[in-house]
Amino acid sequence: MINDIRVGSLIAYCSVKRGNKKTLMFIVFVLSLIFMNLVFLPSMIGGMTVLFTGMMQDYPYGDIVIEPSGDNTYINNADNVLQKVRAVEGVRAATKRLDVGASIEHKQKVVGVTVTGLLPTEEREVSRYPYIISEGDFLGDLSRDEIIIGAMIAGTGFGSEIYDNLGEVRPGSLVDVTYSNGVKRTYKVKGIMEGTFELVDLNALVNYKEIEEVYGLEESKATSVVVRVDKQGSEEQIQDKIREAGVNEQVFTWADKSETLIKQAMQSMGAIDVMSKFVSLVVGAALVLIIIYINVLNRKKEIGILKAVGITPRSIVLSYAFLSMFYVSLGIFTGLILYLTLMFYFQANPVTFYETMEIRPQIDPVLLIESIVTMLTLSVIAGILPAWSVSRESILKAIWGR
Amino acid sequence: MIIVKDLKRYYGTGETAVKALKGVSFEIKKGEFVAIMGASGSGKTTLLRILALLDDATDGEYTIRGLQVSSLPEAERSYYRLTQVGYVFQDYALINEMSAAENVYVLSMMEGKSRKKSYETALEALDKVGLKGKHKRIPDELSGGEKQRVAIARAIAKKPDILFADEPCANLDTNNSKQVLDVFKELNEKYGQTIVMVTHEPWHTEYVDRVITLEDGNLVSDEKKQKG
Repeated sequence: MINDIRVGSLIAYCSVKRGNKKTLMFIVFVLSLIFMNLVFLPSMIGGMTVLFTGMMQDYPYGDIVIEPSGDNTYINNADNVLQKVRAVEGVRAATKRLDVGASIEHKQKVVGVTVTGLLPTEEREVSRYPYIISEGDFLGDLSRDEIIIGAMIAGTGFGSEIYDNLGEVRPGSLVDVTYSNGVKRTYKVKGIMEGTFELVDLNALVNYKEIEEVYGLEESKATSVVVRVDKQGSEEQIQDKIREAGVNEQVFTWADKSETLIKQAMQSMGAIDVMSKFVSLVVGAALVLIIIYINVLNRKKEIGILKAVGITPRSIVLSYAFLSMFYVSLGIFTGLILYLTLMFYFQANPVTFYETMEIRPQIDPVLLIESIVTMLTLSVIAGILPAWSVSRESILKAIWGR
Repeated sequence: MIIVKDLKRYYGTGETAVKALKGVSFEIKKGEFVAIMGASGSGKTTLLRILALLDDATDGEYTIRGLQVSSLPEAERSYYRLTQVGYVFQDYALINEMSAAENVYVLSMMEGKSRKKSYETALEALDKVGLKGKHKRIPDELSGGEKQRVAIARAIAKKPDILFADEPCANLDTNNSKQVLDVFKELNEKYGQTIVMVTHEPWHTEYVDRVITLEDGNLVSDEKKQKG
């Protein structure tokens, strides 16, 4: 076997050293495109996933969200929950929120929204709401009779033409909010928020106290407690610690919530991802096989000669496996350079999605390793199969090229 | 050394079968330089290919040093081709991407010799055929005669029991043909190399000990010669 490997590598080495360089460059170029095909689209989909999940973290769910247990509408004594949560090591910040259903009316235009009651100062540590005010200002802790309206319902942001909106509401405009319990309040619009995300831009924000008063809530009730952690990736550990700290409500990580809420979207993207990988793999496998097979057919006579002079078929097959691996390794290397160049380009110039969402493709090392291993495995199969088939033919037929 | 008994080779079956060899028998002794002659289609190349284990006989027996080689499995035939038999093709059959030395020493490496030892063996063989100093050249940089001498060096580097040559001068001019035949003659006389050569040139017989003539798949004459 050692002799087979030595001879196989010598044949492959000579073939590369003195073979046609233009053909080599063409093969490597095609293989690099096959590799690109395997990794590029999944990276873009990865970028979309990160964008969406990032938004879930930045707005409704934080890193961890605590919700009422069982059929309860509210978390009772949310301040007590907050106290326990804030005492957990690794928790950076936490706040409570009250989400309620309501309709907003402005100049006879009515839209249904979710109104979130929040504590403005605490939100600065927990969410990006305070930082996405496109017009006007964010709420203050003492804000009363003031509301922040999402750009899509205000009729000023992207998507206004798709959804019902209030028609050019501006800071200072007065809107009437009718809550789900029938209580009606008039608010002055303090600011318009634009998060380029429907879950944000179709909502409205008021001070936590407003909701408490409207619904007559006592003992610091909340529909959710939103938590941010010090270290990304530690959410599951902190989730356990919060439970251990005696919080008996439902504790979810952002991933749990994302799974439920944007599961369908992610599943669709996941399906596209899987299909694109499968198609890329089939196309890639076929191309690698064709390239190597043509190469082997061109060298059929050579294979016959090598067999005739006593070179074992195993050496010949190994030489093509080495050759194929060399081509594919160069293809992967070139493909990686192309891929990283494109990745850096798209990091600097992200793809704009939905006119406002910027998608930056994600470089996923696991995906890269998977693709490299797949390509190398394919190369071995692609090298071995045709060479094995030709090396089994009769010497004379191979030499005659039949 | 070589015993061939009633060797037959048919292509196809039934009445349409082409009978390339119809039952050929002869013996070749160690150290003989034999020419197999005959008109085109007489079966001489077919016979040589069977003797060199590149093709199978339809029927008959073929032994080298008492070993029934015609019935060996492919793996053993491959080993036999590597270690016991040298074959020189009409069209040189060199690997174009290998230098003269690499074309020769790839076989020594296959035999398990070290790279250094293989290289030395190759240089020695190339030296024997008069190609000293041309070991780094690839086939495209050599003349037809030089290519054929590389092919001979490849065949003799492993010091085979028998060297088979299929019309080795067919693509060469007279001058180059003489150089190649001189190499064969020297190998035969100086090193006692057994050589079986297919040729259709009558003047090549000046170099050989014996001429076997085939006609239409049959052996029609087998005569000893005085070398010129």
